Parts: sequence; structure tokens; C-alpha cells
Amino acid sequence: MNPLKYSANRLQNQDLKLFWHLIQLGFQQQFSYRAANLAGLMTNFFFGLLRASVMIALYAARTDVAGMSLQDAVTFTAFSQAIIAYLSLFNWWRVMLAVYSGEIASELLKPTNYFTFWLAQDIGRAIAHFLTRGLTIMAAYALFFKITVPQTVGQWLALAVTLVLSLLVSFGWRFLINLTAFWTPDARGIGRIAFGLSWFLSGFMMPLRFFPDWFVRLCHLTPFPAMVNTLLEVYLGLLEGRALLGALAQQVLWVIALFALCQLVMRAGVRKLVIQGG
Amino acid sequence: MYRRLVGANMRGQMQYRVAFLLDLVGTGIGTAAAFGTLALILQRFENIAGWTLAEIALLYGLVETAFGLMDMIFSGFDPGTFGQQVRRGTFDQMLLRPLGLTLQVFGSDFALRRLARIFQGAAVLGYALIAAGIRWTLLKVLFIPVVLASLVCFFGALFIVGATITFWTVESIEVVNIFTYGGVEMMSYPMEVYHPWLRRFFTFIIPGIFVNYYPALYLLDRPDPLHMPAFAPLLAPVVGGGMLLAALAFWNFGIRYYQSTGT
Repeated sequence: MNPLKYSANRLQNQDLKLFWHLIQLGFQQQFSYRAANLAGLMTNFFFGLLRASVMIALYAARTDVAGMSLQDAVTFTAFSQAIIAYLSLFNWWRVMLAVYSGEIASELLKPTNYFTFWLAQDIGRAIAHFLTRGLTIMAAYALFFKITVPQTVGQWLALAVTLVLSLLVSFGWRFLINLTAFWTPDARGIGRIAFGLSWFLSGFMMPLRFFPDWFVRLCHLTPFPAMVNTLLEVYLGLLEGRALLGALAQQVLWVIALFALCQLVMRAGVRKLVIQGG
Repeated sequence: MYRRLVGANMRGQMQYRVAFLLDLVGTGIGTAAAFGTLALILQRFENIAGWTLAEIALLYGLVETAFGLMDMIFSGFDPGTFGQQVRRGTFDQMLLRPLGLTLQVFGSDFALRRLARIFQGAAVLGYALIAAGIRWTLLKVLFIPVVLASLVCFFGALFIVGATITFWTVESIEVVNIFTYGGVEMMSYPMEVYHPWLRRFFTFIIPGIFVNYYPALYLLDRPDPLHMPAFAPLLAPVVGGGMLLAALAFWNFGIRYYQSTGT
């Protein structure tokens, strides 16, 4: 066997192994915050009850709004509460904290791309949150309300794909925001604005199809609908055929764009850090 | 003395002007997201349980403005940050100083960045007062500051209770958020949209219904769909003041039994 090829293979294997270990690490970390996760779960659920109540009052006697039945709309409130933790929609400051504390210096020495280092851990975190804060909320909701569940194998497959893509878009966005910490001591303030924008424009607060057309068009110029709205519409089975493929393709494009941007900005940031001597 | 503590605190915050501005914008966007969504959605749905946008704006504006004010004045008691003080032992330092403890906690933080929330709330409230078709009387004009003060006391009481509980739990207990932030969310909408059980909880256990919903019914001359006695709107200052006094009593009780974490 060609020795060069052999070592390339081995390197790839090692990378994958490391990636897998980091996923496990991110997964396990979540289980040391049991009290916080329980409190978060209860808060998410309570807010969900309020949102469902408002939705029911909004519908009043209507049976169908923009292609969504009342049951779909209530399911929307359930599902959007269930993905808060999975997508880390409200905050995520890990990289910012590492930059400010200086921990980043030792983390950069690790034999892996810094972006991938966090991506793997975030995937682990997301899997843990999916199980502890996602499925549980959906189950709790099902006790109180009749909720919509995907019916066909195709729908479940599309859901699996879009779940992964949504997480990647969300991670790319969060990582990018955190990188501002390289240039300013106020990354948290910038982050707050960024997260606030994402609630407004992603379709998290209300399904985008309830909004006026001009507003929806505005939203689609941003990556935010690819984080939440697409995921919700796929779950509710509102997209079919070409519309579904188009939405998934849009997500893929955002993943590529955001990931590339992350790498570029990160390189610039690290260079600045090195020049300053850390 | 309180003024000097708060003054020092505010001067400190003004040293970080960019951070302060960003905080203003950030909080503003969060608030705008909530009310903006409502405004856009109601173009399609017209009303919620018979309440128009301007009428809901009254509920929302009152509760947001008051919560912002409370969050600024009572931020020393914010259960999240107060829990950290207890854990790190900075609270123990306060015990050593020859100054009233409650005063020190009040003076320990005065979160100026809450101004954004107050502005935003006041803007929505202003819109409601103009657009909701209120038939003004002198009594109603005088009643609005009373309602705001009652709401501030109400939420302040929840903060103090949350802070006091951390004497025992040490961990900051995020469940308190359900009553504070959850209370704000809940009280931003007319109470009749909620399930009777939720409503009963916010009537008899945490009586938030009296500090926002009933005053709003009175201001708007709306009939009461829940059939409470006619004097219900007047209970606002009684409930607000009573809860604050009860919370302070609980706080004093907590201080007497407090044992440091030893850190």
C-alpha cells in the first residue's frame, strides 16, 4: 500500500474519532446541569401553554389560516418551544467566553480546526437537548392538546434532514456572532441584538405565513427562516414536492455560506490575536 | 445614602458607553419583536378575544413599563445575580458593613440598561392611551400612576422572594422566572384567553390579575367576563403594596436564618 495514502487514511480516521469524542463530550456536559435543564424545561413548557392559549384565542372561529388548522397552529407553539434548547435560540456564548478568558490560546493548540472543535461539541449538546428538552416538551404538550405528527415515511425523512440542517445554520450564525469577541469587548451586547433579530425574523414567535407578504420577503433575505420556519413547516407537512426541495436547498446554501464566512472571519480573528500576542 | 450608592453604580455603568448603547438597542429589539409580531399578526386576525391591538397595547404597555422600572430599581434583588452574590460570598461582605442590609442590596445594582425596556413600554403605553378610545375622567388619569406603582411593587415582591429563597438553595433557582418573566408574558394578554386553572393561579396564589387586567378593564370601560366584584380594579394598590410588604417580611426572616456558604 502506498504509505502516503495510508497515513492520509489514518489521519482521516483520527479526525473522525476526535470528532466523535467531542460530540460525546458536548452530550455528557449537558447532564451535569440537571437542575438548570429541569428549570428550563418547566419555563419552556409554561411559556408554551401561554402561547397556545393566545393562538387558540386568535383563531376564534376560524378553521384554516394560511393553510394551517387550529391543531397545526397549537402544534406550532409546542414545536417552537421544543426546539429552543436544541437550536440554542436564546443564547450561546461559549466561544466569546473562551476569547475573553484567554482559554482560546490553549484550545487553538489542539490538533483540530477550531470551528470543527466547537461544531462537534454543539452537535453533542444539541442531541442531549433534543432528548431532554425537545421530546419531553412535545410529550407534555400531547397530554394537554391534540397535536399534529408527521404521517408518512417521506415526511419523517424530510424532518430528519431539516433537523440537521437547521442546527447547522443556527450554529454557523451563533459561531459568527461569537467571533465578534476578537474585535470588541462588547460581543455580548452585539449578541443580544443578533439573538433578538433571530426571534423576530425566523418565524419563531409566529409562523411566517401569518405575516404580511412584504415582511416575509424581508425575512427570506436573512438566514433566520432557514433556522426555524423551514423546520416547523416541514414538521407540520406544509411543504411538498418542489417547495420542500427548494426550502431544503435554501438551508444547504445558508450552511455553506455561513460556514465559509465563519472560517474566513475566524482566520482573521486568530491572526489579530497572534499579532497581539494573545 | 441610597442615592450615593446608586450614583456610584450609575457612574460605573456610564464608563462603558458602547456597551450601554448596545444594551439599549438589544433590549429594544427584543421588545419590538414581541409587540411588532403582535401588530403584524393582527393585520390578519383583527383581534384577540375581542381586544383590538390598541387595547392589548394598554395591557402590554403597562406591564412592560412597570417591569422595566422594577427591574431597574430592584435589580440588586434579581434572583439570578443575587444567587451569585450569595455563592461568591459578596453578600457576606455586606453583612459586615455598618449599613442597613436591605438598603445595601437595593443600592448594589441599578440597571440603567433597563431604560430601553421602559422607553419601549412607555411608547406602547402612549400609543394605547391615545388610540384605545379611553373615555377620560380625572379619576382615570390619576389611576394610571397608581397602577404602574402597584405593578412595580408586585414584580418587586416576586424578585425579593426569589432572592430570599436563594439563602436556602444557594443555587439561583430559575423556576422563579416562570412567575416573573412568565407573569409579564401572561399579563400582556387579556386573562380570558387562558385556561381557568391558569387564571385561578394568577388570581388566588399570585394575584397578578388585579394589578393589570382589572385596572385595564376599568380604564377601557370593558365589562368583566369573569364576574368579579365591581371593586376588583381598586384592589391594585392593595395587592401590590401588600405583596411587597409580605415579601420584605419574608426577606427579613431569611436574613435572620442565613448562614454563609463559607466561600
